[in-house]
Amino acid sequence: MKGKNRFGRRLSMALVFLFLYAPIFVLMVFSFNDSSSRTVWQGFTFDWYKELFQDSIILNSLYTTLLVALLSSAIATVAGTFAAIGFYNMKRRWRTPLLTINNIPMTNADIVTGVSMCLFFVAAFGAWNAFAQQFNADHVAQLPTLAMGFGTLLIAHITFNIPYVILSVSPKLRQMDKNLVEAAQDLGCTWMQAFFKVVLPEIKPGVVNGMLIAFTMSVDDFVISYFTAGPATSTLAMTIYGMTKKRISPKINAVSTLLFVTVLLLLVVVNVREVRQERAKKHPARQQEKNPRGKKFLLAGAAAAVILLLILSNQSDQRVVNVCGWGENIEPSLIEEFEKETGIKVNYQTAESNEAMYSKVVMGGSGYDVVVPSDYMVSQMRQEGLLAKLNFDNIPNYELIDDTYKNLSFDPDNQYAVPYTWGTLGIIYNTTMVDEPITSWSALFDPKYAGQVLMINNPRDAIGVALLYLGYSVNTHDEGEIQEAYELLRQAKAEGVYQSFVMDEVYDKMEAGEAAIAVYYAGDFLSMYDNNPDLAYVVPEEGSNWFVDAMCVLEDAAHKEEAEAWINFICQTQSCLANMDYIWYASPNGKALEEYPAYYKELYGEEMAPDLYEVMAAPADVLARCEAYDALPPEVNAIYKNLWTELGIKDG
Amino acid sequence: MKNKRSLFALPYVVWMAFFVVIPILLVLFYAFTSAAGGFTLDNFRNMGSYLVVFTHSFELAIIATLVCLIIGYPISYWMAKEGPRFQRIAMVLIMLPMWMNFLLRTYAWMSILENTGLLNRLFAAVGIIDLGNLINGGLNSLCAALNGAFGLSLNTARDTAMTYFQMINTSGAVVLGMVYNYLPFMILPIYSVIVKMDHSLLEAARDLGADSVTTFRRVIFPLSLPGILSGVTMVFVPSVSTFAISRLLGGSSEMLLGNLIEMQFTGTTYDPWLGSAISLVMMVIVVVCMYVMNRFGEGEEQAVML
Amino acid sequence: MAKELIRLVDCCMAFDDELVLDHINLYFNDSEFLTLLGPSGCGKTTTLRIIGGFTTPTSGEVLFDGVRMNDIPPHLRQVNTVFQRYALFPHLNVFENVAFGLRIPRTVEENGKKSKKKLPEKEIRQRVLEMLEIVSLKGFENRRISELSGGQQQRVAIARALVNRPKVLLLDEPLAALDLRLRKDMQSELKRIQQQLGITFIYVTHDQEEALAMSDTIVVMDQGKIQQIGTPEDIYNEPKNAFVADFIGESNILDGIMHQDYVVEFFNRKFKCLDKGFQPMEPVDVVIRPEDVDIVPVEKGQLRGTVTAVTFKGVHYDTIVDFKGFKWLIQTTDYHEVGKEIGIVLNPDDIHIMHKSQYSGMFGDYSSYSEEYDEINDPTYIEEEDGNLGGRGDEE
Repeated sequence: MKGKNRFGRRLSMALVFLFLYAPIFVLMVFSFNDSSSRTVWQGFTFDWYKELFQDSIILNSLYTTLLVALLSSAIATVAGTFAAIGFYNMKRRWRTPLLTINNIPMTNADIVTGVSMCLFFVAAFGAWNAFAQQFNADHVAQLPTLAMGFGTLLIAHITFNIPYVILSVSPKLRQMDKNLVEAAQDLGCTWMQAFFKVVLPEIKPGVVNGMLIAFTMSVDDFVISYFTAGPATSTLAMTIYGMTKKRISPKINAVSTLLFVTVLLLLVVVNVREVRQERAKKHPARQQEKNPRGKKFLLAGAAAAVILLLILSNQSDQRVVNVCGWGENIEPSLIEEFEKETGIKVNYQTAESNEAMYSKVVMGGSGYDVVVPSDYMVSQMRQEGLLAKLNFDNIPNYELIDDTYKNLSFDPDNQYAVPYTWGTLGIIYNTTMVDEPITSWSALFDPKYAGQVLMINNPRDAIGVALLYLGYSVNTHDEGEIQEAYELLRQAKAEGVYQSFVMDEVYDKMEAGEAAIAVYYAGDFLSMYDNNPDLAYVVPEEGSNWFVDAMCVLEDAAHKEEAEAWINFICQTQSCLANMDYIWYASPNGKALEEYPAYYKELYGEEMAPDLYEVMAAPADVLARCEAYDALPPEVNAIYKNLWTELGIKDG
Repeated sequence: MKNKRSLFALPYVVWMAFFVVIPILLVLFYAFTSAAGGFTLDNFRNMGSYLVVFTHSFELAIIATLVCLIIGYPISYWMAKEGPRFQRIAMVLIMLPMWMNFLLRTYAWMSILENTGLLNRLFAAVGIIDLGNLINGGLNSLCAALNGAFGLSLNTARDTAMTYFQMINTSGAVVLGMVYNYLPFMILPIYSVIVKMDHSLLEAARDLGADSVTTFRRVIFPLSLPGILSGVTMVFVPSVSTFAISRLLGGSSEMLLGNLIEMQFTGTTYDPWLGSAISLVMMVIVVVCMYVMNRFGEGEEQAVML
Repeated sequence: MAKELIRLVDCCMAFDDELVLDHINLYFNDSEFLTLLGPSGCGKTTTLRIIGGFTTPTSGEVLFDGVRMNDIPPHLRQVNTVFQRYALFPHLNVFENVAFGLRIPRTVEENGKKSKKKLPEKEIRQRVLEMLEIVSLKGFENRRISELSGGQQQRVAIARALVNRPKVLLLDEPLAALDLRLRKDMQSELKRIQQQLGITFIYVTHDQEEALAMSDTIVVMDQGKIQQIGTPEDIYNEPKNAFVADFIGESNILDGIMHQDYVVEFFNRKFKCLDKGFQPMEPVDVVIRPEDVDIVPVEKGQLRGTVTAVTFKGVHYDTIVDFKGFKWLIQTTDYHEVGKEIGIVLNPDDIHIMHKSQYSGMFGDYSSYSEEYDEINDPTYIEEEDGNLGGRGDEE
């Protein structure tokens, strides 16, 4: 009876552990998969590990994650221990309210903590930078301007780590014999000596435990980092989150595996050591092995390593430029090339959509120098004074830009923007999953395709296609028309037509055959087509949006010259060609666009299919039925915003 | 003498003032400010339209918390009853996944739950999907027969054959993600309370005539309440406010409070004032819930974590 | 005639390879105050736990009224325990702690039908209040446990155990955590309660004074074996071996030779004594209690020695006297200064003869007087018994 119970208990525990570890196991197995598929096994390879070690973005973010975790847990441990001692000695009247405040970061939702700190940093830095600007104008001595980055990330992590340390140290203090310190002082110690010789050894388990929790929490955190890291800093979690919006590379599996194995080994070593020490305690004769000097050396070594890391990371003299582009929207080698050529370090971040990028910029403290908004967003940002006038002396390559892309409505005097790419919005569909070729936007509202459609996840494009289907202009200011378009979307959503609303997740889903139909951009279709030739692209007969993404420099950019150097570099024909080959978006560099088929042939040894070239560089007849987005007045923008939020919360 | 030592807390108190108190006050300030800068209550007036999101978030978070409790309590209890070696290994096993970022773990579930994911492939290989279709087909023809015979209009949910079970982008997947990520937060506090429980109390209960069921009900369970409360808090709060899990496993069809707030700050609809107001309301609701719960388990010492 | 309630037959208990109880045979009578006395690790708490049902003996039998109880769990035994650190439920108040056992439905047999029955609330209330009155805690019903002093907690623990009207109450060093004054008060209180209720108390302690003051019967244990069973007077006056002689009170223990009945030789001198039944010329241990020795002027003494140390103890002086290198402790009311030569006289009834045992030569010499003496007298000295009291019981 008893044995049976025990078996049942163990079995259920085993099941829970299986539940906890099965996904991790899957993750690890597929890090060795000889294909980028996350679900189909196609042979064993170490390629992802090789690639991982060449991927500076993942490695950098891993480094940031570990550095932040180490530093914040170390600092939090020291600060938290002292704070715990302070609280312990405090009168109850003071201690109780302070401890309540101390508990806030622990009990509050992460997102509130993150958001509140984000607001604080933005406000504080905004005030400081305004003051610094004033000051710098009047004085020879220069004050630095501040932006969110590694520092704010570290502060945030320290802030949420300290309460855990206090929580872990306080009980040990309470358990401690109150007379210990007095005894030590009685025997001639100063308070400090008493602390190190008596108190610290006594509360050590709590301190170590607190540090461990702090480290764990720091490594595990995503939400707070997400709101406080700024543009140039990214933890591993943030990188992954950015990637999950696009194609997730098995490099992530590889880095997970490495992390897991490292931690596992570490824990095994620690535990084996502990068990040994316990045994040694039972057999005191063998205890002399323990070498306190070795321990000190280890500690000193660790401290030295941390300091070294700090020094290495603190190469503040280097020139940098913070670029915010779209996911998979730049040939990575261009960044390296630029860095080599100019010695300017590029922090390349991605935003999900124009609106998301705009949010980050307008919130302040984004720290971006270069942004790549689409046409309508360029107008909006220009009108709101967020963009800086460019110094075209620094951008001689601007003359390579085709005249078609100059003097456009979003930048009539060619003062603020340098076109980066252009293309069309259209329908991508899987030919094996639909009965007939799709030619109309109607497919997006057809219950026939319930659960098969991926709707684009930004208000301008989503409401835009509905407007197009209804035969209205995408630039309409008429609330009734917009409302009608919204109704169309809402009803389709209610009927379950949309599997989900996505941006770059569309890659993964369409390539894997998760969905039949999606709304997305021409260039991205070509990327997907590379991996799944069943896909097809169409600019529907009702017409569509023709867009230009353009590079702009922000008014509050800290590195304007570097930003212009970057823009100039990107405009070179060679850069445009390489970029086009990677992202498949048409370049506004006329020469590059023209030369691309030849470039393709040279590179791959075969002709580029003309229809694919036409998808990229839409011919005149297609462009004729396309319309560019204009900037909308604030009241129309507000309508979009409200309807969009409402659409999001309506149950599907 | 005593007061002097309390000065050790001073730097941290200053730190808290800057990085905890002022930020929270800022949220408060933003919540009552309009985009134009003046005082307003509009942010709250508009809250009504988000009621769905609130109820949905709380619903999912409550389900996830209950599931965690139902799984977590017995596991913690049984763990505490095992030998010290077993306990140590089990603790390590529970902590270990936390050292991989929770996004990595959530991401792992994506490839399992997708329509063409591992589970669906497994189901297809084992024939469960065919079985489902068979049953469904059978039901359909049964309905058709009945309809024909009696002039009824019976219908089954699905009239075409399915090729997969829809798992990702459902509420279920989001709850699964929450349970998976936060289960350790339920197990650890409960376990640590149970394992520290004075064994002589259990002996005393047995001695006074309680059988094992009564001992559990009247002694062990009430004494483990602080652990349960702490576990519930630690699961519920992150669940109700998550945006990454719902984003990754729920697609955009699962809009939770976290997503709503995130949208206002860095997402597609920039409105930090509304975002602050939503955060504030959420915070208040959570605090009230916790307060009520703590009253319910009144008087127990501060729940111990880990 | 006292009725036998519980009997342990050949009980052995082994943890790992260590034999903690070594063939214990013991019975407990109705209405008896019996004390298990011994140093830490002697097996007394293990014996108690076997009776309580918290441990099952490795071998041997536990009989209640002649019925084998080895595998009956604690909640089905008509025995209740007062734990060393009280084990009061922190989540319940005084009343609910005491009422805990009463609120548990009992299986009652009526007309051959077994049914679970709950006590009516009224009866519970009455019995709890009654019991609180007995332990002098009237008016404390609604207090939280953490608001009580150590002595009050002790009383609650006793009330909680007694309210179930057990036939036997087990007390595991219940006074160990109290200070000296409180301990003395509680001793008489416990004795009073025991007499008032007329049930059996089985009391575990390492404090010989406590044992002597309260018990009807004392069982002295060491190394898992029973060393002696008897009334306090028997144990004190007629210790069976050097261990008992030393553990109960103070003793000078000397090597001697029993020449014949009533004649013993030590220090090369023959003394008259009251003991008989030894082999002729059998080597024996001779016990002389410090308070029995009379100090006389040197010339009148049977033995002569030199005073080496004197300590004032209030009622008497502890005087250490060196007899040819062997130091005795003698308690006198007169002061004898250090260095003075004195004589002593031993009456036949002052001399107690014991057989040689494994303990011979280990006790009774006051050459290294101070440490041992202090340790025994230190009232705050609380022993950790066996180490399995507050533990989680992994070793079970």
